Amino acid sequence: MSWGWHYYDRRSAPEVKGGIKAQSKRGSFGQSWWARRWNETLDEYDMGERMARGRTYARKGQVAELKVGKGSVTARVQGSYGMYRVTIGIRTLSKAQWGTIAGKMLDRPATIARLLSGSMPEDMEDIFRISKLRLLPSTQDLRTDCTCPDWENPCKHIAAVYLLLAEEFDRDPFMIFRLRGIERGELLEIAGLWTGTGERGGKRSRGGGRKGPGAKPARPKPIPADPAKFWGSDRPGGDPGDAAVPNVPAALVKQLGSFPFWRGKDNFLSAMEEIYRGASEAGAKAVLGETPSE
Amino acid sequence: MYVLHAGEHSDSLVFWAESSEGAEARRGGRGSKSSRDTGSPESYRFAAGPGQLRRILRSVGITTTPRDTHRVRVHLPARGSVPIPSGDLITEWGGGHAAAAPPASPERPKLKQYGIDVVSLSAEDGTTLLCRVMGKRTIEPGVIVGADLAYMTDIMRLAGSMVARQQYLPDVEALGNGRMEASHHAVWRPVPTASDSERFDALSGSMPGAVRAFSRGDAPAESPADVLFRILTRMISHLVRASALMNAAAPPRGGHRRRKRFDSLHDAWMHQLRAARPGPLDGPDIPQFVGQVREWQQSITALADSPLHLCFRLEEPEGDGADGQWRVRYLLQSRDDPSLLVPADEAWDGKPHLPPDGRSSVREFLLVSLGQASGIFGGIAAGMSERGAKSGMGGCTLTADGAYSFLTGEAAALRQAGYVVMLPSWWTGRGTRARIKARADVRAPKVQGGVGVLSLSTIVQFDWTIAVNDKSLTADELQRLADAKSPLVKVRGEWMEVTAGDIRRAAEFLKKKGGKAPLMDIMKMKLGVYDGRGSPASQAGAGAAGALDISVDSKDSSILQVLRRLNERADLEEAAQPDDFSGRLRPYQLRGLSWMAFLQKWSLGGCLADDMGLGKTVQVLALVQRYRQGGGRKPFLLVCPTSVMSNWQREASRFTPGIQVMMHHGVGRVSGAAFKREIRRYGMVVSSYGLLQRDIPFLKKAGWGGVILDEAQNIKNPHTKQAQAAREVEAECRFALTGTPVENSVYDLWSIMEFLNPSFLGTQTQFKDRFFRPIQSMQDEEAARMLRRATGPFILRRLKTDKSIISDLPEKIETKAYCTLTREQASLYGAVLGDIEEAIAAAEGIQRKGIILSALARLKQVCDHPAIFLKDNSGATAGPGRARSGKLARLVEMLSEVTDAGDSALVFTQFVEMGHMLRRHLQETFGREVLFLHGGVPRGQRDKMISRFQEGAGPQLFVISLKAGGTGLNLTAASHVFHFDRWWNPAVEDQATDRAFRIGQKHNVQVHKMICAGTLEEKIDDMIERKKDVSRKVIGSGEAWLTEMSNEDLRDILALSSKATSGGDHAEEAGWEGGR
Repeated sequence: MSWGWHYYDRRSAPEVKGGIKAQSKRGSFGQSWWARRWNETLDEYDMGERMARGRTYARKGQVAELKVGKGSVTARVQGSYGMYRVTIGIRTLSKAQWGTIAGKMLDRPATIARLLSGSMPEDMEDIFRISKLRLLPSTQDLRTDCTCPDWENPCKHIAAVYLLLAEEFDRDPFMIFRLRGIERGELLEIAGLWTGTGERGGKRSRGGGRKGPGAKPARPKPIPADPAKFWGSDRPGGDPGDAAVPNVPAALVKQLGSFPFWRGKDNFLSAMEEIYRGASEAGAKAVLGETPSE
Repeated sequence: MYVLHAGEHSDSLVFWAESSEGAEARRGGRGSKSSRDTGSPESYRFAAGPGQLRRILRSVGITTTPRDTHRVRVHLPARGSVPIPSGDLITEWGGGHAAAAPPASPERPKLKQYGIDVVSLSAEDGTTLLCRVMGKRTIEPGVIVGADLAYMTDIMRLAGSMVARQQYLPDVEALGNGRMEASHHAVWRPVPTASDSERFDALSGSMPGAVRAFSRGDAPAESPADVLFRILTRMISHLVRASALMNAAAPPRGGHRRRKRFDSLHDAWMHQLRAARPGPLDGPDIPQFVGQVREWQQSITALADSPLHLCFRLEEPEGDGADGQWRVRYLLQSRDDPSLLVPADEAWDGKPHLPPDGRSSVREFLLVSLGQASGIFGGIAAGMSERGAKSGMGGCTLTADGAYSFLTGEAAALRQAGYVVMLPSWWTGRGTRARIKARADVRAPKVQGGVGVLSLSTIVQFDWTIAVNDKSLTADELQRLADAKSPLVKVRGEWMEVTAGDIRRAAEFLKKKGGKAPLMDIMKMKLGVYDGRGSPASQAGAGAAGALDISVDSKDSSILQVLRRLNERADLEEAAQPDDFSGRLRPYQLRGLSWMAFLQKWSLGGCLADDMGLGKTVQVLALVQRYRQGGGRKPFLLVCPTSVMSNWQREASRFTPGIQVMMHHGVGRVSGAAFKREIRRYGMVVSSYGLLQRDIPFLKKAGWGGVILDEAQNIKNPHTKQAQAAREVEAECRFALTGTPVENSVYDLWSIMEFLNPSFLGTQTQFKDRFFRPIQSMQDEEAARMLRRATGPFILRRLKTDKSIISDLPEKIETKAYCTLTREQASLYGAVLGDIEEAIAAAEGIQRKGIILSALARLKQVCDHPAIFLKDNSGATAGPGRARSGKLARLVEMLSEVTDAGDSALVFTQFVEMGHMLRRHLQETFGREVLFLHGGVPRGQRDKMISRFQEGAGPQLFVISLKAGGTGLNLTAASHVFHFDRWWNPAVEDQATDRAFRIGQKHNVQVHKMICAGTLEEKIDDMIERKKDVSRKVIGSGEAWLTEMSNEDLRDILALSSKATSGGDHAEEAGWEGGR
């Protein structure tokens, strides 16, 4: 430790408005086993005080921008003396290596099923191990860089970015696959499972082309000129289904997990829970024809 | 007459109306406006103007400003240049009837652009409007809910249900068409479960074209599914936002924070998701953000949007063994064709035929959905851990314990998460599900000094036993059940659930051994409404979750009998027809009498809800007669709508001439202490609901043998004064009569039951919590079954279509419906009489005949309706609830029973003007199309009317001018025929009746002849009845026979007797409950 470090340290970094704030207020970043495993790699660097600063940075929202690509992460972090650019490079696996992994995965449908439904199966590391590969990168697989004046690498800025990624792992198990060089759709394709959902998702993300329930293309349908069909409807009576309020509020949102790299002031999940809980009453009233706002 | 419509325009709901008046107003200046202004399309000639539109909305409590109305373009069907309105309701009157009918054009209908005025409401007001019109056909008389508006309320109900169940996600949506830069907005998007998708598809398949006729462009053609999804999203978004606003401690609306700056897009999104009037989201990060939202939602939306559903089917083990293996099988179901079920392991191999866009991604779909479901149902992962993908797709096995937890927990959770779950019928048929029960074995009452009379207050002793499938269990056997590994046990070949809680509660019952209670409580136990305070049953009563069902048994034959009689109406003591009853009760009427006599004996109240025409009146009269024959001396109070009072008087004098009937009505009516003295001389006092509430101070304790409410739906709202008054009347027995199926309307039931058997269903709040809300909003079958069980013994409803009734009934039943004149009618009647009396006396020969015939016609017109006589086009009523014609009011009451029961009716009148008025008034009242056939209807149109009436889904009411009838009409769809006025010639009437009654008729036909009591209608009817045998010869084919009578006879016949208005000028001060 040099005096220079302490000099920097005394000065607190300017606050970033709308920065990415870690959802964890204390303790570890990310709850899942593979997030812990990811963090263990960082621990190997023995960063000491820098790690503590990095945690604080992540929680305060000093990370202003974060982009995840195949094998690389770029971020901008507000430090004491300016906005620094952080890059983390991760060694990617080759196509052939992914082929091996996909083949092994196919033998374990439960594993794929768990993965596709949003959690990392415990035995995923086994699959890599028997293929003589690693899912989570070791220190040798990482290249980190930051434009800050600190000569130590990784610095606290890198640590902050690294920890935010750990939280994302909880929500999206495919994040680690992307960092290792493969997207969800590509992996499924290699495994012979992918058949175009990703593409459909891509179209949907443009927004306007929302189809409504049922991914069927909504064929335009001319309005009937027949007066009976134009003015009337052979309505089925309209059973709206029951209006039973679920015991666990916001189950759908909880199933998806917190929003990726959440920047909002409110805690995402608890704000959602409050909204869902309140809305149920309004919905139940509307079914009975009671005006919800009265 | 207006029809209120709703559609979607520029992404929001708009409301507009068609108007028959509008049509009239515009007819004069049509064409000139549009020809000058070539830029905008022609006005739709039947559209209501902005002022009319705003007035209609005000009538449902929605205030708008002129700024809320806009002129917009819409595509409407037209034949050539003639627009086709939503129904004949709009075109056919408003001016000359025939003139407005569009010229028959051979052209096929085409869509044409028109300009109309619409109101756009805020999301809040739109929601309020939809909630207020939900389930209604008319908003007020003359304002009809269009099919498109009713359709919107269906969407609102689906939206409400999905919001209640929390089937939606926060989302961001791009708005704007290709030309403009899209703007992005925060919304809450629906995430339908499998059954929501079915509802969605049903709704999108039945969307009226009018809903999406506002789309931009020349030929609007957006798919109904897209439009529906958008409307549903809007409604869900609004419901969620409105509640977020209400629940927010500090509402985020306030100030002029429209340009509020947010630190991040995420904050802005969160804000807009809760804002009342959300603005657009902007910033350079939008595209990336939208991508993030999609990615975040993907694992859920991919399933919700898929053409496939994953199903789980629980299958029982073969054999009886408790250690057999249960199995959950996975199946794929096609969204488009729910009957297509493919086992998942076969689908994995791509063998069977699946929908094209389902087949390609089936493996991924299976893995994703099974993976997600495995978070809820652990058995899936366990089943798949075997090697090989396909083997895991077939399903998984469960122990009995696992199956039980699947049934009680995971199945519901899976369903909520959007999967289809199929469970064995012995489980889902909850109502009939075998369960462990507590049984009260009631011992015979110890009666001191010989045989006592069993009454509801008799204290009886009972012992608790525990039974399964009616087989008693000893404590040891119970213990053995408790030792079973799983709550699922197979008893006598039937799977059933015995939970640890059941066993614990059962043990408690056994420990308490027994107790004492009045027989009334035992009866309540039997019906499942025992609240059991201070007794072993104080487990919050049956029906409450977790409570044991209680059954009652006894070795004592008298107790057993009363319970059986109450519960099953089985082997009731058959009541004989009372001696002084003139006429014959049909077998089912005797059964009704026996039932009422049984309830009367036990001081219980009952509701006789037989179909109209099955003779509720005679059954009640027989009951009163029976009571007097048995030595009863107290009078019965009969309360009915004013319009039926004379009918009761009339029927009583016909069937029970020995019973003196007092009409308690009119200004000169007896009151106070004198009333109490006076009524002792009578067997029955008839009064109206209006007077019941006014005179309740002395009516309530007058010493009644019984109180009977006719048309008891008048007290369905428990808060009205008449309902409160009805409950206050003290009497030895209570009965309610109604022809509408009260048992179907959960909410109405409480008020009627509270009158019949006070506190039987608990307080209104208890009732709401225990029955109303569970049944209406949770669709809780169990609660519905409990309610039926509790109320069943007190409601007797027989349908004309019951096999046991049909055999008792003739194919054609004729009844006479006696009506009362209003004061206006009575004074007009008097005036006409005065005019003609002298004229008749002075005239002779042909001239005299002419005068008499015209006098008859004029008096008949007065009986029909003052406006027909006055020919002044004045209104059918004198304001809401104020009838001008007693006969019309009565007809409306009777027809509302007919339409409620889903039946069809013909209404004959001999006056064309009356026909027009009937049609208009009935349409305005019921909000449904009514056909009218008269001499001016061309043949082609006539045939069309007939075929529409004859097809099941067509109009239910058909008004026919008697003379237009002619031959060749075959109207067998009708099961009721009303003769609104009389043709004093049975042959002509019979011919009309026979329109409905023909070979091929599958149901009985009821003929109602409407007669104004105390007028010539009643007297001539009596004459015809007297000479029925010879009448055909005597009276020939016209009404000319009446002209042969002497002046004296004529004077008698035409004179107005006092009972014409039920004994006085009552209409004013009593009010007319009749009419809607």
